[in-house]
Formats: sequence, C-alpha cells, structure tokens
Amino acid sequence: MTPTLYHWEPNANSGKPMLALKEKGVAFESHYLDLLNFDQHKPDYLKINPNGTIPALVHGDLVLTESTAIMEYVDEAFDGPSLRPDAPEERWRMRWWMRFFDQYFAPSLSMIGWSVFVGPSVRDRDPEELKTAIERIPLKERKIAWSKAIYNTFSEEELAESRRRCAVGTQLLEERLSVSKWIAGASYSLADINGFNLGYAIPLAQPQICNDEKTPRIMAWLRAIYARPAAKATWAMGRTQMAKRVTYLDS
Amino acid sequence: MELYHGEPNIFSLKPLIALHEKGLDFTSRYVDFLAFEQYELPQLASPEVAHNPEGEGPILVDRGTAMTESFFITLYLDEAFPDTPLRPADAEGRWRVLTWARFVNEVLGPAVCTLGCRKYLAPALKARDREDIEHAMARIPSQESRAGWRAALEGAYSDDLIADSRRKIGIAVKKFEDALGRSDWLAGGAYSLADIDAFALLRPVPDLAPDLLNAKNAPRVAAWLGRIAARPAVEAALAHSRTGKPEQAFTPGLEHSRWG
Repeated sequence: MTPTLYHWEPNANSGKPMLALKEKGVAFESHYLDLLNFDQHKPDYLKINPNGTIPALVHGDLVLTESTAIMEYVDEAFDGPSLRPDAPEERWRMRWWMRFFDQYFAPSLSMIGWSVFVGPSVRDRDPEELKTAIERIPLKERKIAWSKAIYNTFSEEELAESRRRCAVGTQLLEERLSVSKWIAGASYSLADINGFNLGYAIPLAQPQICNDEKTPRIMAWLRAIYARPAAKATWAMGRTQMAKRVTYLDS
Repeated sequence: MELYHGEPNIFSLKPLIALHEKGLDFTSRYVDFLAFEQYELPQLASPEVAHNPEGEGPILVDRGTAMTESFFITLYLDEAFPDTPLRPADAEGRWRVLTWARFVNEVLGPAVCTLGCRKYLAPALKARDREDIEHAMARIPSQESRAGWRAALEGAYSDDLIADSRRKIGIAVKKFEDALGRSDWLAGGAYSLADIDAFALLRPVPDLAPDLLNAKNAPRVAAWLGRIAARPAVEAALAHSRTGKPEQAFTPGLEHSRWG
C-alpha cells in the first residue's frame, strides 16, 4: 500500500520523513503544502490532520503525525535498509539526540529563522488576510508561535537565549561526532537524518559558530550525508530557494 | 546494571517500574539529588548526563553506557531485554507509545514539575542552609538545570506560570480520559511503557491539583491510576522510597516550551 506524505520543503520537520522514506527506498505519494501560504490550516488538510501540523503520513487507514515518531514507524513498517542501530544502547543514544534536536536545538534555531525569514516573508501581506489566517490555526501553541513570527514579537532577550542555545548545541554535536562517525555510533541512523534537517542550516544561519575551522566534524558529517543519493533526491523535491541553499555542501 | 535514582517519583519512578515489571536484576544506587554528586562520578561523565533535560536523574549504567531520559531508559530496557514485552508488537502501536511519550514530556511533565517544585521543593530548600545549596548547585553543568534550581531557591513561580501549568494538566487529563474511553490502556489493549510513562507523572497530580484530577471529573483516569498502582511491580518500585512520601519528591526537571 503506497503511503502519502503531506509535507512542505525538505527542511526541519517535513524533511525528516522525506529523507527516511527515500533512504528506505519506499515509494510514496508526495502532497506538497505551502507552509507560508498557510495551506496546513485550510479545511482540506484539517480533514486529514485536525491539528493542522505538518508533516503527516497517511498509510491505509492510519494518519500518523509527529515527524520523529513517523520516522520510527517508517523504519519499522517498511522493508529496506535498517535506519536504527542493532545495539540497544545505540538506539538509546539515537533517541536521546533526536529529542535533544527536537526540543532544545531546533526550537532555538527556528526562533532565529522565523524572526529573520518566515516573519518578513509573510508580513507584507494584507493584514486582514493574516488575521484570518492566524485565527484558523487549531492549536493554541501554534497560534502563539505564528503570531510571534508574523508580528516579530520575539524579544531581544529571547533571541539572545536562542543564539546561546544554538552555540551549546553546536558544541555538543561537534563533541559527539568526535567520538563516533555517526551520532548513535558506527552506523548511519534516524538521528543523523533528524540532525541533518536542522544541521544543514546552522553554517548558513550561524556561520560564526559553525564552519570548517571551528566545527570540522560537523562540516564533514553534513557533507557525508548530503553526498548520499537519498539526500540528493530529497532536496531535489524542494520548490523554493530555501531548499536550494543546501548545495553549498557540494563544494 | 546499575540505576542511579532518587525517590520513586516522576522520572525516577519510570525505570524502577520497568525493571520490576521485567523482573531484571539491577543494583539500586539511591542518590540525594540535592547534593548533585552524580555530576562528579567519573563512571557517569558524558554529554548526555551533563545536558540531561530531566536534570539530576535517573541514570542507568549498562554495557558501559550512562543513559539518561527516563522514558528512553525504559525503551532501552524493553529492547535489550525483550522478555515480558512492554510495548505493542506492531508498528502502529509503537508509534502510539512514542507520541504519548512526546506529549507527556512536553506538556504534562513541565507542568507537574512546576506545581510540585512550588509546593514541596521550594519550602524544602528554604529550610536548608542557603550557602550549602549554592555551593552544591555550582556542580550542575547545564545552565538550564541551574536556572530551574535557582527558581526553586527563590520561589520564583509567577501566577502566569502556575495558571499555564494548571491549563496543561487540564488538557492532559482530558486527553487521557478520552483515550481510556477508547481502550483500556493508552497504547491499546495491553499495559505498556506509555502507561508507565504517564502514570509516573500523573501519580502526584491528585495531591498537587485535586480539582483537576479526581474520580468525578476523570473517572477513567482515576480508575486507571488505581489499576496501575495495584500492580506488584509498581508496589516494588515505590518500596525504594526512604522518606515514605515519594509523591512529594521533586526536582525542577523539564523546562516549559520556550515558544509559549
């Protein structure tokens, strides 16, 4: 049964199941939603995922949400190369790092990204249209987040704290990659797929803390992942400039 | 296999229950979380211990690896020791266990820690010598954990934070009540790690916020808590308490989402 993935650009949460499916060699129907056009809060999509979050994977009768949990489902439910280590302690490490990315590192990096990128790119739209778009967001947390991004109400203090956390996360990742080639250990895993979706943007957004000189292991790890055919195929599904930025890793 | 744990409450309670459910041999290392000594033990030195989002513990040491994050420790135990499985066998059921854990960790966990620390940890710290506490706190490697302890030391819990925590607990109780109307256990027909995970965080709630969780407003959750509490493995886990009041033992633990 061919699954359908509802997703945006190969970036952050959308990119995680895209890359996992490609690595696994699972054929899927791609349903692109334009996050900046608020497609994810429109009635057609709310019929599929009432929370209005992306990505979502529809497999038979099942509607799966939460990108990291979707990746584990993909690895468990489909044939193809295993994307989780065999050793249980390495699986533990894979999950520890995915949570660290999802709940510590990514929210900080995306707060900076939203204030300099998402906010400005939608702010010049009709104010009434924006107001309606915000009112349609089903989850209170997402409503607050979008309002903050659109009206740029992040305080300088919040942004400074996010920059500090990005520096802590970058340092920790560099340390981890000095112990083993891949995050969980000797094999490429969902933790690397997760980390790449956030990690490819760090040298672009925070070049002063993440570059060939200061974090050579992160840079080598990013290039090694982008050299994989599955990563190339995933980022080729991008439609905007945002996804095309990844090609700096070819050099 | 060694488990460094505190009183059997919230995070420490989860691996203790899983170990007893599976009947595994382990060495219990009871730690005074307020002394922060675990950060100076060489066998525990690792970035995942230093930057543990749950703060002080529990920490499982097995196969030469010091593991933190209580839910992932229980998942480790279920994968490393597959007898007496504590997860559904199918991919869908396992996805459900993971999504419950994410919700418990992001929404319920921080809210319970806030109410618990305000009610029990802050007064307990007031009764101690401030200089001793400050001295011990200097051992904490992560800035986020230090900030959590600082808030408890100052008793800095705003009305907004308390209201937000109560709101989150209300959302969680309703979500569990609805789920338990569809099946006997959170991930489906059988007791699983999802139940252990949620139970450990919900157990102190009838004391912290009796109006939000009681037999009247959430009869199915109340009955489910009772069913789990009656399990021999849960009784054995709670018997690790030294104070006799494990439900009053809190550390700052999980942060609330910074996105509001």
